[in-house]
Amino acid sequence: MSLIRWNPTRELTSWASDLWNMQREINRVFDNFFRGGVQDDGSLGLSYWMPAVDIAEHDNEFVVKVELPGVSKDDVKVTLESNILTIRGEKKQDRETKNENYHRLERTYGSFQRSFTLPSSVRSDKIEAVYKDGILTITLPKAEEAKPKLIDVKVK
Amino acid sequence: MGNNNVALTRRGTNALTRKVEPVNSYVTPVADVYETGEAYVVKLDLPGADQDAITISVDQNTLTVRAALPTFHREHAWMIVHEIGRKSYFREFRLGEGIDRDKIRAEFVNGVLTVTLPKVESLRAKEIRIQ
Repeated sequence: MSLIRWNPTRELTSWASDLWNMQREINRVFDNFFRGGVQDDGSLGLSYWMPAVDIAEHDNEFVVKVELPGVSKDDVKVTLESNILTIRGEKKQDRETKNENYHRLERTYGSFQRSFTLPSSVRSDKIEAVYKDGILTITLPKAEEAKPKLIDVKVK
Repeated sequence: MGNNNVALTRRGTNALTRKVEPVNSYVTPVADVYETGEAYVVKLDLPGADQDAITISVDQNTLTVRAALPTFHREHAWMIVHEIGRKSYFREFRLGEGIDRDKIRAEFVNGVLTVTLPKVESLRAKEIRIQ
C-alpha cells in the first residue's frame, strides 16, 4: 500500500485506461478496507474528504498549495506545531441548494484535515497564507540554519 | 428524477465521435447539477483557474467548459508532495430542449464556476390557483 492520494478525476484517453482504472479501483478498495474508514462518531468515513496538496521546496522556503474550491477562507485553519503543518476546516454546502432536485452530486462537502511534517525548521513568525480562486497558498520561509550553504573546500 | 435535460458526458464516452484531446493535458472537474423551478444549475470545481482563462460555450446541444491553468510552481522547485499537477480543465454537458440559451449566465467564486441555464417559459414551474 502506498500513500499516494487517489485521484478520481485524472483520466487517460486510450483503451489502457480501463485496465488502469480497474487496477486503481481494486487498490482503492483494499486501501480503504485496511485503513478502516470509521469515524469517531461511529459512522463510515463518508463525511470527510481530503483536499489535494502540493508542497514545493525552494532554497529559502516551502510553498504549500491546497485545493479548496468553494471553501470560505473563514472556515480554514492553518497551524504549525514543531514542524508539523496542519490544514483543517470545513466545506459547507450552500444553504439554498440543499433541497434542490439533484441530477449529479460529485462535489464533496464536510470536514477535512491534512497534516505534513516539514523536512526542516521554518521561521514560524514569517508564515503567510493567501486564499485565491479556490487555492490556499502557504509560504513558510526556512530558518537560517536550514538554508543551503555553499562551502568552499580548499584543494591542497 | 425529472426530465434529464442536462446530461453529463464524461470525456471518453464520446471518444469516437469527438476530436480527442491530447492525452493527460487536462482533468475532468467534478460537478454538481441540480434543477430548480426556473433553471438547471451546473456547479464545477475549477480551483486555481483564472476567471479570464475560463471559456464557456454553448452550441446546439452541448455546454463546454474549458479552463487553462497558469503555471503553478516556480522553476527549480523540489516537490515533496505532488497531488495537484494539472494543466487545464475540460468538461462537456449534453443539453436537452427547453433551455433558454440567450439567458445562460455564469459566475466564478472561490474556484467554483456556477452556470445557470434558465428553462424556457413554458417549462417553468407554475403555481396554479384553485378557482
